[in-house]
Amino acid sequence: MRNDVRALRTARSLSQAQLADALGVSRQTVNSIETGRYTPSLPLAIALARLFQTPVEEMFHDDDQARAEPTA
Amino acid sequence: MTMTKPVPSPQRRRPAAFWATPAVSVALGLAMGAASWAGGDRAFAVFAVALMTALAIALVVAASYSETVGRLLDRRDERITGLDRDASLFAGMVLVVAVLGGFIGELATGGDGRPYSWMGAVAGVSYVAALITLRLRR
Repeated sequence: MRNDVRALRTARSLSQAQLADALGVSRQTVNSIETGRYTPSLPLAIALARLFQTPVEEMFHDDDQARAEPTA
Repeated sequence: MTMTKPVPSPQRRRPAAFWATPAVSVALGLAMGAASWAGGDRAFAVFAVALMTALAIALVVAASYSETVGRLLDRRDERITGLDRDASLFAGMVLVVAVLGGFIGELATGGDGRPYSWMGAVAGVSYVAALITLRLRR
């Protein structure tokens, strides 16, 4: 699942370690989320959304769902 | 967009969960040591206590250097906790296959399948019990 976490983080001049500390997770986990190798749980996704003041659905992009939706 | 929530400083105090695995390691060493001592093998008793205590110390020290080890112990990171869960599941499945192999091997050599039959039964009953408990909770 693609996401905008890296863009949101760098826009705020935060390091992965700083974001990890703010979320209470490891730096490795932040990196895995940013690279799309790990999809966070709903509580962690909400924590990210609150931190970045961005709706979850605008931060994470379900490509499979986008392909399934009919185009106008 | 601005971030209103300040980034807190890293929390250095280790939660109680962090000490669970090292404590279990030491407790296992003491149990093995007591059993060996009672069985008359005092050299192995001392070795078992020393080995399991050394393992506990190694875990605590490694946690200071390795983020993975630290988060495996304190269980605060959902991804690493998930890795631990999946690795435990894999190890459990390997163990079940080994038990089934031992059971079949025992039957092939004229045995009645023990102790593998008991181990397999414990695994099967544990699985069903866990499934029912989890089903009631979720």
